[in-house]
This record gives sequence, structure tokens and C-alpha cells, in this order.
Amino acid sequence: MLNHHPLTRWLIGYEAQRKRMLKRAPEGPLRDFLSVPFPTLYTPFDHTPILSVDFETTGLDAIQDKLLSVGCVELNHRQIKLGTSYHQIIQTEGSLKADNVTIHQITDDQKDQGKPLAEVVEYLLKRLAGKVMLVHFSRIERQFLQQACVELYGMAPPFPMIDTLVVAKKRLDKRDVAYDPSELRLTALRVKYGLPNHYAHNALNDAIATAELLLAQISELNEDMSLQQLIL
Amino acid sequence: MDSALSEISEFIQAIPPMDLLPSNIIEQVVKEISICYVRRGQFLPPQGVTEENLYILRKGALSYVTESDELLGKYSEGDICTAFCLNNGSHTSNKNTEVKAQLKPKVTTDEDTLLYSISCEKFYHLVSEYPDVMAFFQQTSEQRLNKKMLKVNEDAIVNSSLLNSSIANFYHSPAVTIGPDASIQQAAILMTEQGFSCLVIVKNGQLLGIVTDKDIRRRCVAQGLGIDQPVSAIMTDNMTTIDIKSTAYDALMMMTKKHIHHLPVTINRQLKGMVTVTDLMNNEGQNAVNITSVIHKATSVSELIEISSLIPKLQIRMAKLGTTADHVGKSISAITMAFTIRLIEMAEKLLGPPPVSYAWLAAGSQARQEQFAHSDQDNALIISNDMKPQHSFWFKDLATFVSDGLAACGFIYCPGNVMATNPEWCQTQKKWSQYFAKWINTPEPKALMHCSTFFDLTTVYGDTRLLEQVRVKMLKTTQGSTLFIAHLSRNALNLRPPLGFFRDFVLIQNGENKATLDLKHNGIAPIVDLARIYALSEGISSVNTIERLKQAAGTPSLSKASAANLIDAYEFLSMLRMMHQANKLQKGQQPNNYLSPKEISKLEREHLKDAFKVIKTMQDHRQSTY
Repeated sequence: MLNHHPLTRWLIGYEAQRKRMLKRAPEGPLRDFLSVPFPTLYTPFDHTPILSVDFETTGLDAIQDKLLSVGCVELNHRQIKLGTSYHQIIQTEGSLKADNVTIHQITDDQKDQGKPLAEVVEYLLKRLAGKVMLVHFSRIERQFLQQACVELYGMAPPFPMIDTLVVAKKRLDKRDVAYDPSELRLTALRVKYGLPNHYAHNALNDAIATAELLLAQISELNEDMSLQQLIL
Repeated sequence: MDSALSEISEFIQAIPPMDLLPSNIIEQVVKEISICYVRRGQFLPPQGVTEENLYILRKGALSYVTESDELLGKYSEGDICTAFCLNNGSHTSNKNTEVKAQLKPKVTTDEDTLLYSISCEKFYHLVSEYPDVMAFFQQTSEQRLNKKMLKVNEDAIVNSSLLNSSIANFYHSPAVTIGPDASIQQAAILMTEQGFSCLVIVKNGQLLGIVTDKDIRRRCVAQGLGIDQPVSAIMTDNMTTIDIKSTAYDALMMMTKKHIHHLPVTINRQLKGMVTVTDLMNNEGQNAVNITSVIHKATSVSELIEISSLIPKLQIRMAKLGTTADHVGKSISAITMAFTIRLIEMAEKLLGPPPVSYAWLAAGSQARQEQFAHSDQDNALIISNDMKPQHSFWFKDLATFVSDGLAACGFIYCPGNVMATNPEWCQTQKKWSQYFAKWINTPEPKALMHCSTFFDLTTVYGDTRLLEQVRVKMLKTTQGSTLFIAHLSRNALNLRPPLGFFRDFVLIQNGENKATLDLKHNGIAPIVDLARIYALSEGISSVNTIERLKQAAGTPSLSKASAANLIDAYEFLSMLRMMHQANKLQKGQQPNNYLSPKEISKLEREHLKDAFKVIKTMQDHRQSTY
């Protein structure tokens, strides 16, 4: 079972960190983001405002590699609201590696129609304010978003997150049976829950696919569960 | 649009009637969608949904039941559940809302289900400019079915061969021409040599006029005009021509209007060829009238067998041309009748004249004029009461000859032995009256099921008074016999339509799935049975189902609206059966009545569901009456 005590500390950690940074943050998007409190740990899941986010990147290293595109959609009261969906390609210097073009289907031409990183991150922070971020495999989104914030504002804020990969991993670990790590991939987990095939490697598509997966995962859990059962 | 949402848009746009919406409206619909996930065994609406929503199933399955848990239908991937849209977007009909609100739908998830949910009100608002889409959601099953059948019948007219085939398929080229200075005799010689009944008069490439056989008769011979006169003296100038782009129907109309039989065909006003009324008629050669007249000329059974191979071809052709099932049924029945008559004539020639007057009767689908190729033969004999025991040999020989002949022509022997060769059904007028009296006064359910074919009888050959006298007496009795009608009704209710479809299966009452739909027993026969009951209750002598329904409309047994609904349902089901059989025949397979849901479009499945609902409504009504 999850231990409430350290989790509580972690979330207090998020809030304490937020308040601390708010004092130092420069005027602008980062400060606006930090001025909205995060949901408390005891917020029932159904009342937690969630933004499902996915990034497409040129690689796994947040310092060397670039953010290519961002997709997000809101999840509230166990409903994914497609009207809130957002997808944006980001302008990056240099041409794309051929390998990645085939994965992300983003060509140099499209990339040139993208918006500057600053503009996209500003928009994303606005959407994320006061919300919990939902991702699949949080390392990429967390590191790239934090790196972008450091580059743009000189500091990286805390981002409370739910990770569908971790939710799945906890469930598998509890069974005490060996499993293949590939079972934790988004596509594999969706198959397991009988969710339809989705067109992967589009940021918005993956954000919606992740949100659908979370809905399926939590449908197995207590109805009155609170955020603390899911948060990282 | 973003590819994520375009994937969802494509999914939705593939579902009728959403396919009628332009992409920009679909995009707006998608923006209004909330995705919900509901575990199996839960009630809809999903947690947190407070509005009246409609649900598009992305994955999973739903069951829709009444308050008393009677299964009404199931939904699967790509189905739209509107059970919670109580006012159907029409704010005016409050009465309807109240009625529906009382029904309180119960919808449960049979599997873990992913739903696209959208507020009914917002959805109706978005599609309000698209009447066909609105109609789909707002209209009742009956209204939707009616609309579909109006369209089918319109198409049947448009598709009739002359209308949609170009004149290019009919004309012959080149047209024979002659100069204006040639003599009438020269013209006549040219026509005779070429075997043409008309010539076009041309000078320096200019079309001056036309001269026909008739002109030579009327304007030359009858007038005493010399045959050495120039042909221009008797030609019709100012002649009517037709452009090659016109349809054969245009040509026929033009000929009819102007009372002419020849039309020069032009391309850019240049003479290209000629089309005659005979050309148009020949194209219609392989039709029922034609086959019937060939049958009349046949002199041997082997000739008839040869002709009978045309029936499946005719049925395929008529079906592909978009002819209504009613018309096809009447044509095939007429042909069967022609075969029977010809066989009887041959038999009489062989056996000598009949000892007493009689009539050959057709029963079942042939009598109702609803027969398709490869159906079995149902027939009987009614003989004058003057018949003596020794005459029975003549009738037995007649019955055997005709029945064997029909079987050789592809009309298989009746498995239930409803045939004139069966002594039970080769009886005097008096005996037939007794049969009917017994069936009506002491109805036994099993006997009734077997003999309901005999309530659909018609005279194919012989003295029509024999049957009509029996029928008049029979109808008088059935009208007053509540017990008989009750038994007939109970029998008719044994055949129930399915509830609808679930994935690629047919969903039946107990919630089970079947791979195919029996169009005959679970669709057409229930309507035929209902029509028979109305006819017998109201003393209507017609046996054709549509005729019976039309005549029963407005009587105490059947309201006008219900009659119209049943006719639509009947025509739709018959059309599907006709198309299904035409496809089978075309592949060289034995036609049957088993339609797999995979054979038909999603929209056709919706229409079928509407037809089932019409039948169910009328059967339920029947059940509550008796």
C-alpha cells in the first residue's frame, strides 16, 4: 500500500517549492504559473483538474535535443474534453535528423510553420497553472519542460504529475510476477485495456491516448480515491 | 485539423447519417465531444454527466432495456445511442417528450466501453442546417422508412433502362442517304437493297429531309405521283433530329410526341446514324412480356425448359435495373402462370377435353404475385360438383403432367405436398367449401399453419367462377369468426422480427446473436401473415400483400398510417431479398433468404431496424387485440 506520510511531504514539497519560487520568479509567464496553487493531495480525483501532455522531441537528452511539438488536452470529472485540445509544432534551428522525421512525421517544412519555443512554453504554462500534468513516462516531459524554463526564465518550477506508466508499473509490481518492460509502453497498455488502436507519435494524439489510458486504469480503482493515490 | 482529431473526425464521419455532414461541421462536432470510459456492468450516463447526451461508441458494447428488463437493442462500435436525447431536438413537441420521459431508458455497458459523448442540444444545434441529418435523429422509424422507400421508388423510375441509357447504345450507323434529285424509284430501290425503311436526303453535306416507306405510300402511290419524280417532292423537310448525347427515353418521347418512327442521330448537327422505334423496343426484348409470349408459342416441354433458364437472368436484370420488388414478383409470377397455362394446354391436347369444368389454382407466393425465381410450386385443382368418380383419372393425369413439367422448368415440387397431384388438394367445389368451413369453424393451430397457403388462392386456368364462389362464402364466414382470426393471429405471432444488429450479427429477442437474417421468415412472412389476417377479417378478396394492405387501410382492422408503414417495411425487405438473390444468382449460386449483415451497409441496417420496429409494433397491437 502507498504510504501516506512521505507522499504528503512530497506534495507539501510541491506547494512549498511553488511559494518559495514565486518570491524569486521574474514578472511574466513563470510568475503567473507559480501564482496559482496546485490541487491539494486530498482533492478527490474526480475534482482534480488535469492536463494530459505529450512532447515529441528530436531525442532523449533534454540539453542536446530539441522539442519538436506539444500536444495537450484537459481531463476533468473523468471526461476528456476535445474542445480543449491543443497541438503546436515548434520552430527549432537546424534541420531534422532523418530518423526522427520518420517517427514523428514532422518534416522540415512543417517545422518552419511552427511557433517559437518561448511562445509555446508560455501558452503551456498558462494551461498548466493550478493543474496536475498527466504524461506517459514522465522523464521526457519533465526534463524538456524544465530545461525550456531554465533557458527562458532562468529557473525551473515544480510540476506535479501523474504518470500512467508508473500507475501501470505499480500494479504489475504488486503482482510479484516478472514482466517485460515493453508491457509498459503506451500502445501495449492500451491493447491490454481493450482501447482502440491510435495513430501514435503525434503529440496531441498521444496526449489523448494517455488520458484514455488513465480513465481505463482508474476505472479499476476506488471511486472516491484522491490525488495522493496517483501522484508521483 | 490536427491528426489526432482528424482520426476521430474520420471515425465519426464514417457513421451514417454523419457522412452527410461537411468536414467543417464534423470538426465542430468533434470539439464538443467528451471522451468517457465506462467499466462493464455500469449504467449510463457515465459518472459526472448531467446533461442529456448522445453517445457514439468508439469501443465496447451497450444494452438498451425497458424498465422491466426486456432487451430493446444493443450498440457496438460505430453505433450512436440516442436513448438519452429525450426531446430529440424538437422543442415544440412537449407531448412526445412526456411520453418518452416516462419510458426512462436503461442503458448498461456489456463490456468496458469507450464513448464519445456530446450534448444532444449542442449536437442538434450544430446539424440544424442539415435536414437529412436532423430527420434521421428526429423522425420515427416509420417516417425514416417511408422516406427511404420514396427514394427507392423514385430511383426505380429513373433507372428504368430507357431513361438512363444513352441513345449511343441504340442507333445504327451510318444512316443511308440519297441526293434530292434522285427519283422516287431510285430511293425505293436503295431502301429495298439496304433493308431500311427510311432514307435521309442530303445535298453537299446539308440535311434536307427524310423519306420513309410511308411517304412513298401516302405521297406517291396514293397520290398517283410518277415514280420518276425527284424524291425531294415527297420528303419531309424540317425533319426532327436527335443529338447523340440524349437518352433513349428522350428519343422515345420525341417519337411519341411527333408521331414518327425514325429519328436521325447527329453529332454537332452532322448526321451520324439513325434510331428507330424498333431499335428501342428490341432493347427491352428480354422482358417479362416477351418471355410470356415466347412461352405461349412453345410446342414441347423441352422448349419450355429452355425458356425457363431465362427466369433467373430476368430477375438479375430487373434487380440490377432498380425495378421494385413488387414489379419483379408480379413479372415472375406472370411467367410462372404462363408456363402453367402452356403445360395445361399441352396436357389437354394429350388427354382430350376435360370431362367436367375445373380450374387450376395457384396458392401461396405465386397466387399473391410475390414469386421469385426458383420458388417451389404450390398448386391445387378445383373441380365442378358434377364430377364422377371415374373422372378422377383424367385430373390425376393432368396434375401429374403439369406438376412434372413445372418441376422440369425449375419449379421444385412443394416440400409440404401442396400440389394438385395430392388427392387431398384435387377436389370438387363442394369439398373445398367444406375444407374452408372446417378450418374456420374448428381452427387447430397446427392445421392452420399448414393450410394458411390456401387462404391465398388464385385461378391460373379454367373456370374462375368455381374458386370465386367458394371465396365469397369463405370470406363471409371469416369476417364474423373471432375465434378463427384469433388462432390465425396467434400463429402469425410465432414469427418475430429480430431486434436489430450487434456488430456483424443479427440480434434476436433473447439477446442471442445469429450470423444471418432470415429475410423470409423474420421479415417478409410476418407482414404477409398480418395482411392476410386484415383481409380475412375485413372480407377483402385480394391476395397480393400490398393490395390487401391498401384495401384494409382505414378499416377497423388497420389504420391508414399503419398500412402505409407496413407497405414501406414490406417493400424494403422485399427489395433487400431481391438484391440478395440477384447477387447469388449472378454468382451462379442457389438463391436463398439468408442475408448476412456484412452484405449490407450500415445505413441499410438502420433501415432494416426501422422495418423490424414497424413489424413489432403491428404484431404487439395484434397481440393486444386478441
